[in-house]
Amino acid sequence: MKSVGGIKLPPIGAFALAILMGLPILWLLGAGLFAATGGGGGLSSSMLPTALRETAMLMASVGVTTGIIGLVAAWLVTHFEFPGRRVFEWALMLPIAVPTYLAAYAYTEFLDFTGPVQQGLRALIGATTIKQYWFPAIKSPGGAVLVFSLVLYPYVYAACRSFFLMQSGSVGLAARVLGANGWRSFFEITLPLSRPALAVGMTLAMMEVVNDLGAVQYFGINSLTAVIYSTWINRNNFGGAAQLAVTIVLIIGLLILIEQWGRRNRAYGASGENRVPPARVTLAPRAALGASLFSLSLLLAGFAVPFGVLATLALRNIGVGEIDLAFDAGTTSLGLGLLGAAFTVTLGFVAARLGSRHARPTARQAIRFATLGYAIPGTVLALGLLQPLGQIDLAVNRVTMALMEWKPGLILSGSVAALLYVYAIRFLAVSASTLDAAMKKRGDTLLDAGRVLGVSGARLLVLVDLPSLSPALITAATLVFVEIVKELPATLLLRPLGLETLASVVYGKASAGLFAEAALPALLIVVVGLVPVMLATRYSDGRRKAG
Amino acid sequence: MRNFRLLAVSAAILAGVSGAAFASGDMEPKEETPVAATGAELNIYSYRESGLIQPLIDRFTAETGITVKVLYSGDGLNERVAAEGELSPADLVLTVDVGNLVGAKEQGLTQTITTPEVAERLAPEYRDADGQWAALSLRARVFYVSKDRVSDTALAYEDITKPEWKGRICTRPGDHPYNIGLIANRIAAWGLDKTRVWLAGVRDNLVSAPKGGDRDQVKAIFEGTCDLAIGNTYYMGVMLTNEAEPEQKDWANSARIIYPDANGDGTQVNAAGAYIPKYAPHVAEANAMIDFLLSNEAQEMYVGANYEFPAVAGVEPSPLIASWGKLNPSKVSLNDTAAHRKEAADLVDELKFNEGPQN
Repeated sequence: MKSVGGIKLPPIGAFALAILMGLPILWLLGAGLFAATGGGGGLSSSMLPTALRETAMLMASVGVTTGIIGLVAAWLVTHFEFPGRRVFEWALMLPIAVPTYLAAYAYTEFLDFTGPVQQGLRALIGATTIKQYWFPAIKSPGGAVLVFSLVLYPYVYAACRSFFLMQSGSVGLAARVLGANGWRSFFEITLPLSRPALAVGMTLAMMEVVNDLGAVQYFGINSLTAVIYSTWINRNNFGGAAQLAVTIVLIIGLLILIEQWGRRNRAYGASGENRVPPARVTLAPRAALGASLFSLSLLLAGFAVPFGVLATLALRNIGVGEIDLAFDAGTTSLGLGLLGAAFTVTLGFVAARLGSRHARPTARQAIRFATLGYAIPGTVLALGLLQPLGQIDLAVNRVTMALMEWKPGLILSGSVAALLYVYAIRFLAVSASTLDAAMKKRGDTLLDAGRVLGVSGARLLVLVDLPSLSPALITAATLVFVEIVKELPATLLLRPLGLETLASVVYGKASAGLFAEAALPALLIVVVGLVPVMLATRYSDGRRKAG
Repeated sequence: MRNFRLLAVSAAILAGVSGAAFASGDMEPKEETPVAATGAELNIYSYRESGLIQPLIDRFTAETGITVKVLYSGDGLNERVAAEGELSPADLVLTVDVGNLVGAKEQGLTQTITTPEVAERLAPEYRDADGQWAALSLRARVFYVSKDRVSDTALAYEDITKPEWKGRICTRPGDHPYNIGLIANRIAAWGLDKTRVWLAGVRDNLVSAPKGGDRDQVKAIFEGTCDLAIGNTYYMGVMLTNEAEPEQKDWANSARIIYPDANGDGTQVNAAGAYIPKYAPHVAEANAMIDFLLSNEAQEMYVGANYEFPAVAGVEPSPLIASWGKLNPSKVSLNDTAAHRKEAADLVDELKFNEGPQN
């Protein structure tokens, strides 16, 4: 074995990690097959066509709307100069801080009959009931598409924007020299070129749609995730839920293929040498106004409205009880987030090492499999973990009973460990990819230098390897922390006795029709969600200054 | 050799992280309440909202010194108990629906409740024949109707499938345990075929695909989206007295309650109750809690603060509930109703009830 990298773990480690991270999916495949062969629960076929239809409809609509919004926004801020552009460039990322379930609750408060919009409308026309005028129902499939699109477009925006920034300005220059301007250059050059970035952003947005549980339940949509949940919980049909979950995994697999296709080569990006910084065209006043208004309305609808609704409700309902609730749940979320970040980043470090470019192809494949959890809905992961964790606990207790006459009780299931495990599965990709990129950028020379100086093993790890990666470690930990605080379905299903997180409190109150009482915890979630946006801004600003 | 040392280091880091993880179970703020003198504890899995149940728990702790930890979840607690098996920390499960009680018994999750209070204080129809569960409070599933737009004072279940109700009815999703309970009650009373026709009729009179909880349906009446909603009695009481969100008083004031079939075979009644899981670590404390919840004091709290009907005979419903008229409970027993839950859930799927009106 060549002496490369800080740590050499045997390739078997990659497979072990893949099995550890793939456990819920493997278990569900087994349970689904078992149910299909008439084992338990039986087939839950009657809801499958409905769930498939409603999920496909939602995914397609959200995919198209986020695609259009995100691409146009990215195109505007990278190709043109207009009032507010410098602010919009980062501010357009803000809606990503609002989880889909919070967006659904907040928009319902805003657009529903008792919300300010309809109140104002009624005051204006003198109506008292909804039968006297027409207003679209927010709790509807259309409302779901609206809400999802408004907070998920940043996935497309971010992918397209960084793609445009990587791209050489020479393409745009050439186009302009050849007489293609404005919309024509958009349709004939930008759109075809940005297909891969568009595919990446849209699939990420659609994965969020599939992952969502809170919003679809609130809006009464029978999406696959919602139907899995009710098949399992309301019908005690684990086998049927497992089969539906396998269906979801297949759909996700398709999305991942599309995403990989989008990332397959970056040949559309310009190579380093002939890269001309993209020059922004200053728009004519009317067009500039249009661009500013477009960006502003996205910002208002995707961030200001939900944030404003939450802040208003939180202020209106503030009291000792509300602060207590938010403080307790907040401390729990903070603790879980920190522990989860430490655990997930540690695993991410191991994964990045095991899957580095020096590793064997099979090991790299195994690591890729291990990081697929980011695409699997939390509901599905929880469903797949509950039984195997219970079995492992049982086996451990039997062994300790036989050996020491002592039962440690539940170790994995219904404990913080179960949450850390599911968070690691779901967010390993976030930490591993961040660290992998940093390792690639750093290269091996530093480690080789350490070795030449006689430092090796654990000392090399502590003295050279980890310190040189510290910015990436912190970034990865922050990103994972925020994702954990926002995470809803897996937390809901696996949390231990007596433990309420910000997300679980908000969900509980909202499902009981008392969302306003949980506005403060909801607001905290959004504030935490702003951190990565800030980080990304600082990072890109720093890069710009450095360049 | 170096490899092994490095492996050991990373293993140690992992162990350290996960060790901290296990330890953190005790770091959780709510558990820092001073341990009561007895040192006894009780772990409750509660389907009921904390707002409804926490005052009862606080009173119990004050009286007995038993420390209580609660996992609140609207869903999935029976599934948790089942998956945790013999290691489950749950001593008592509080459900909002008799279906969950009977379901737990069927899945073999329960053990016999030993306190004699259950048999002494509860009529036979409100407890399991084998002592596996006990009802603690009762709720009727009723029609909320608009005060302004509905003049009827009595309605039978069949009435709401008539054409005059087209596009005027709201309810929460059909597969929610409350609606499953209602449909199962109808199957027990009418048989499957008549219930299928009835449920299809209700579905086609819905204003849209069912969504939200029972409170949301009252709100829908307030805003004029629908004129009749199906919901549980106590929500009206809780909303009429909601000081935290006073606008809910307006919602509730726009509607009144009609007990379906009040003059006929009676209104479906559901029970919130409790069972002790088979592997409960603190059986004595769980029985003590059931004793407490069946005491006059606790029953009066259920009635007074939660606007439910008492499960124990002799405790009077609150004046507000009494003002809605006399409840004539369905002749079908809780057990008979629960026996038809699976058929009810299948019917909801078969009729695509959750997709809303189809004709």
